[in-house]
Amino acid sequence: MARKMIRVLLVEDEEIHRVMARAAVKAAAGAEDDDVLDVAENGAAAVRRVREVAPYDLILMDRQMPVMDGHEATRRIRAMGVTTPIVAVSSDGLPADVEAFIGAGADHFTPKVSQATRQCRPCDACMRHGQQYMIDLCK
Amino acid sequence: MAGAALRDQLSALLSSMFSQGLVDEQFEQLQMLQDEGGTPGFVAEVVTLFCDDAERIIAEIATLLEQPIVSFDKVDAFVHQLKGSSASVGAQKVKFTCMQFRQFCQEKSRDGCLMALAVVRNEFYDLRNKFQTMLQLEQQIQAYDHKQQ
Repeated sequence: MARKMIRVLLVEDEEIHRVMARAAVKAAAGAEDDDVLDVAENGAAAVRRVREVAPYDLILMDRQMPVMDGHEATRRIRAMGVTTPIVAVSSDGLPADVEAFIGAGADHFTPKVSQATRQCRPCDACMRHGQQYMIDLCK
Repeated sequence: MAGAALRDQLSALLSSMFSQGLVDEQFEQLQMLQDEGGTPGFVAEVVTLFCDDAERIIAEIATLLEQPIVSFDKVDAFVHQLKGSSASVGAQKVKFTCMQFRQFCQEKSRDGCLMALAVVRNEFYDLRNKFQTMLQLEQQIQAYDHKQQ
């Protein structure tokens, strides 16, 4: 029996991080060609996509972005009643940053650069929580 | 034999980049992501993006620091961006110099920022030269392998 297609929304303004996240999502356990990785370049675009497009299975949310940042976008997505898991991703990882994201409604936080050892699958912006979500979705 | 010599050169270059602290484990992870993820050209794409971004950001910072009144918030935002992309690509020395740079931004020290900018620029140029050599060697290896087929 074919498993369902996975839809992931990556909210990231910088192309280098989008390229890396795309490769990481593709490399995540069980990811297939039919799985969709949509991209929004800022928080406002992310809120629009969530409102207008078929439900996502996972949202990866950057913090610092033009127009609307990740905290505000997370708040607005939750205010819409959307329960899709949101994994916050940030370069800083300061406690205040994590707290702000979780307070806004994110489910988990992961730093952009993993501290993974060779045993962990390299997966920028998808490490641990994001990747675990992907693995769970692919079961 | 030529192919082996090229591979040796590439291997030696990469070893020196790691041993000099120019790149760290994150760069290794990019290579693994390329190899295990079946995404040829991924490292080249990311490295090129990083170099283009860094060049642009350094120019923006230089312009900001030339202004009569420096917006240290804007400078800091650019340095943060460069720190983020350098961390993601494994550009360890550039990343560390950005961390020091941010201190000067927070202290609102123009002289400190100018000094830090000079250091960041030097570290970036050094790394960019190594990346360019790396990409050239990879292309030569690919061309050689293609001829042998």
